[in-house]
Amino acid sequence: MGVLDWIETTRLAVWMQDSQSILAFPAVLTLHTTGMGLLVGASWMLDLRLLGINRNVPLSAYRWVFPVVALGLVVNLTTGVMLFFKNATTWGTSIPFLVKMCLVVASAATIVPMRSYVFHTGAEQSPSTNARLLAIVSILTWSGAVTAGRLLAYLAV
Amino acid sequence: MNLTHLHLLLNHVPTVGSVIALAILLLSFIRRDQALKHAGLEVLFLIAILTLPVYISGAAAQREIRNRPEVSTTAVRVHQDAALAGFAMTEFAGFVAWIALWQSRRRGGEARGLVAATTVLLMLALALSGRAANLGGEIRHPEILADVTADPAAPALSHGEGSADDKQRFVAAAISSYMVNSRWAWPAAETVHFLGLSLSFGVLLAVNLRILGMLRQWTFADVHRLLPWGMLGFGANLITGMLFLIGQPGQYVQSTPFFWKVVFLMIAGANFLYLTVFTKAWTAKGLDANVVDKAMALTSLLAWLGVLLAGRMLPFLGNAF
Repeated sequence: MGVLDWIETTRLAVWMQDSQSILAFPAVLTLHTTGMGLLVGASWMLDLRLLGINRNVPLSAYRWVFPVVALGLVVNLTTGVMLFFKNATTWGTSIPFLVKMCLVVASAATIVPMRSYVFHTGAEQSPSTNARLLAIVSILTWSGAVTAGRLLAYLAV
Repeated sequence: MNLTHLHLLLNHVPTVGSVIALAILLLSFIRRDQALKHAGLEVLFLIAILTLPVYISGAAAQREIRNRPEVSTTAVRVHQDAALAGFAMTEFAGFVAWIALWQSRRRGGEARGLVAATTVLLMLALALSGRAANLGGEIRHPEILADVTADPAAPALSHGEGSADDKQRFVAAAISSYMVNSRWAWPAAETVHFLGLSLSFGVLLAVNLRILGMLRQWTFADVHRLLPWGMLGFGANLITGMLFLIGQPGQYVQSTPFFWKVVFLMIAGANFLYLTVFTKAWTAKGLDANVVDKAMALTSLLAWLGVLLAGRMLPFLGNAF
């Protein structure tokens, strides 16, 4: 019995699969979507600023983005694990799911250099080429992650 | 009361409302009155919001009456296509009116070209809505029935479910057929819907958190400049949302969470207009909003959250997929 099979027999997985409660799968999925809105939306606001939208707002005024992104990440890691438990055998071996995971990791990884850039750059400087590239990568990887995640719904049925 | 009543109650809003908005705009040209011009644009934006439940309740009414022997399916489908054209033009006019309002709030001056474009679009919307209203009347008012059946070029009257070649003759039927039968159309539209959601949420967070007293380094002009990005996300979601509704109306029109989603959308839409035009001059940083503005910002966040929650619950509390 493989790990994926075992995951689907855990109490959490069974609850996610069988519970008729609105607080089971529906609430977890809704939280995952809300977390996505916070996480991706806030990231994109910073990306747009780095690409020159609202450039007269100092970069330091975008520090609010990071706590929002952190909150979204915590919510979506938690609910994401719960959703994975429900579908472990289907998703664990599917290419779209692995693609989504790679895109999520890549997107989240852009946050780290962006944070140090925002916290250490003077107010009057326009974003460096690297920062712009980072913003473009962030927009594309988050879009890809949302796309792959949404398409997963059509994979498991 | 069911949604058919609601359709009969609301169905005069696009025509009568457009006449009023147009009258205000034309009067503003004659009087050269800036405030009146803004009022005309604002009324048009509200009409565009209210036209959404008119179309949706119409889809519900269609399902109520389609199997009645005295009702012609053809007449209903002709009305539906006319209504779709009127709806689309009204939304487009409302969108351009919003850009005009946004631009004049931002720059202080007049957006002459945009107001002229809005007026033309509004006239087109009025004509198309009027045609839809007339064709809608012919479904149930035999005393005015003339064109649909008398026109030799018109397809023969059919009853009941409608024939298989409906999708070749009617736009809404063709869209529905494509959304249901294409392997990619529905998933692709869902994906765009989620991307649009994320973009809108980012903008709404920045704007409303600022009004609630965070992001003190931003001026009001700074958050106001972000609003078109929110509108872009919303526009993508209105279009994809309409594709779902036209594609599978049965999933939505009798669904409780969908009803609440539309209610929250109305509140959120009116709130978005307030955010666009309200006159507080936040040219300096660190200024505080008053209690009313803060209440509006909180309402905005909660209403959009309501739209998301009700929408995400569609498959679970309703029957959508």
